[in-house]
Amino acid sequence: MVDNAELQHRISSVMDDPGARALAHVYGEAYLNAIPEGQVADYLEEFESFLSDVVEKFPEFSQALLSGMVSRDNKLRLLQQVTEGRASEIFASFLQVLARHERLPLLPAIYRQCLHQQELRTNHQRVQVTSARTLSEQSLESLTQKLGAALPFQPIIEARVDPSLIGGLHIRVGDTVYDGSLRTRLKQLQARLRERSSHEIQSGRNRFSHSAGN
Amino acid sequence: MKFKADEIASVIQREIEDFRGQIQTSEVGRVLEVGDGIARVYGLSDAMAGEMVEFPNGTRGQVFNLEENSVGVIILGDYLTISEGDEVKTTGALLSVPVGNAVIGRVVDPLGNPLDGKGPVISNETRPVEMAAPGVAARQPVKQPLQTGIKAIDAMTPVGRGQRELVIGDRKTGKTAICLDTIINQKGQDVVCVYVACGQRASTTAGVIEALRAHGAMDYTIVVSSPSSDPAPMQYIAPYAGAAMAEYFMYQGKHTLVIYDDLSKQATAYRQLSLLMRRPPGREAYPGDIFYAHSRLLERAAKLSDELGGGSMTALPIIETLQGDVSAYIPTNVISITDGQIYLEPDLFFAGIRPAINVGISVSRVGGNAQTKAMKKVAGSLRLDLAAFRELEAFAQLGTELDKATQAQLDRGYRMVELLKQPQYEPLHFADQVITIYAGTKGYLDLVPVAQVAEAEKEMLQFIREQHSEVREAIVTTGQLDDTTEQKLKSALEHFKTQYARKQ
Repeated sequence: MVDNAELQHRISSVMDDPGARALAHVYGEAYLNAIPEGQVADYLEEFESFLSDVVEKFPEFSQALLSGMVSRDNKLRLLQQVTEGRASEIFASFLQVLARHERLPLLPAIYRQCLHQQELRTNHQRVQVTSARTLSEQSLESLTQKLGAALPFQPIIEARVDPSLIGGLHIRVGDTVYDGSLRTRLKQLQARLRERSSHEIQSGRNRFSHSAGN
Repeated sequence: MKFKADEIASVIQREIEDFRGQIQTSEVGRVLEVGDGIARVYGLSDAMAGEMVEFPNGTRGQVFNLEENSVGVIILGDYLTISEGDEVKTTGALLSVPVGNAVIGRVVDPLGNPLDGKGPVISNETRPVEMAAPGVAARQPVKQPLQTGIKAIDAMTPVGRGQRELVIGDRKTGKTAICLDTIINQKGQDVVCVYVACGQRASTTAGVIEALRAHGAMDYTIVVSSPSSDPAPMQYIAPYAGAAMAEYFMYQGKHTLVIYDDLSKQATAYRQLSLLMRRPPGREAYPGDIFYAHSRLLERAAKLSDELGGGSMTALPIIETLQGDVSAYIPTNVISITDGQIYLEPDLFFAGIRPAINVGISVSRVGGNAQTKAMKKVAGSLRLDLAAFRELEAFAQLGTELDKATQAQLDRGYRMVELLKQPQYEPLHFADQVITIYAGTKGYLDLVPVAQVAEAEKEMLQFIREQHSEVREAIVTTGQLDDTTEQKLKSALEHFKTQYARKQ
């Protein structure tokens, strides 16, 4: 399985472009479907190595791929020269397809989507756990077990720290949030006190005020 | 007032001791873009259409558009403090407003928050803003009258309880005035009134509230105000919120009256929302479902069957036309939904005929069944008589010599027009209306100079009330003008006629 650190391509507070994400999803799914069964890990490793060892190491190369000044045919030729004999046939033709459709800038997003899809296919899902303090290895371990028992899939925990939670845990699975943090409980208590007590004071003013003081 | 600090502290302490915080589960998404009262949110994959969502600053919103990659949300409140990337939570609830007796006499915004500075609205009951209208089996035909207190309306375009009667006209023709008089006339009739001010000037609404208060009408009235300074989403939901408040009482078996002032402004607000949400524009750039927006609102007005308590909700929507153009999109839509319309004309208004109702094209499709028998009897031919008079009047303007009968018909017509004039805030009891119209149509006022008709009418009603109260009493209790009462009325009016002539 891929390491947790590998998914941190972007800063978590910056949002994805939903349109780009939807497109990347389509390409990622298609690529996964093209891979022969049982070899997914190899092909994903190849994808990752293309991104980190080729695209990142040679900025001129990636600039050429992303530039609008270079024609599509030239990009295709360039990719062919780079991948010929070095990359697998499926990956090479995948890059060709992307280049033909002018979707090369989506490469990192497609990689993320591939990983995500593969996780879903192997019944894994990412769970963001936020706590007020750093969680120990031990507590993370037990949390993983408990979540695995409670959820219909195997969780991959992404731990984060946010001191403003004060205490407790804030767990996010997909779009669903289970908020057991102290901050939220205090907010609930505040709302309830405001609602109930004001109601009680309004309805029974005599109890709370001195009859002589009015 | 002095408070007992320890009592309050003990209440709070008990509350804290009893508090068991639960893990909050919610769907979340993040704001992609925000502005002009709407937000586009990414995530919220399980959000329902019309569901209420919450922004981090506590502002509520309503899910409006469900798209492939994002959710369009209308923001009900301050949208300036919401920014890109903010987390949005679903609440699993539909938008609802507080209802019940606690709201009566209050001025609230479309979310039920108080605007009158009289403290919080403490109500245990709420009701969803959008509710399905009662079905066919839950209704019964309109049969009870809703007295507006305005002679011209009660005589010729009567409104029944559960009816939807459109009030339509150009700006400044007295549309709101008619509705206000109707509210004021409900005093003591056990009718709960709701006045929805949607897209009005705040100063106008303040004036309306002041007028209602001065006439003691706030005791049974709820004012829902969304002035034109409110963001479009608030103006859009205001009529639905008002309908929900009235509906609650209708299902309790009470009679209610709702005034939507006005629906053309609501349509404009809805158009703004829809265009910002990139829904395709149709005729006059209104969205395709603008008809549905109004029909589902007005369909909620109903007379419930006796099994459901027999409550009713009468709706008086107001539409403002431009230059008398009733064939514009929104006016034609609402005319086709409602059970009739009261058409107000600037020409009549400036000619001093107030209320400026054009009786020729104003109709009531179901109110006739609801009219009291007495009124039906005296006002039966009024509309035709007036139409004949209009024709004659046009002819007489040519300056031709007229025979005596025609001249008499003309004279009576002038007096009838004069008689149907009525000052604002002076609604008349239906018995008084019956007497007035009877006297007018039977010619008892023919000898009174046209300019003095209003004065003579006042004197006549006072005379009847003081010296022949049994006649008025009989009309009030039976709601009929039977032969004996008619005979008595005739002699009373004869008496008044001679007395008035002697005084001249």
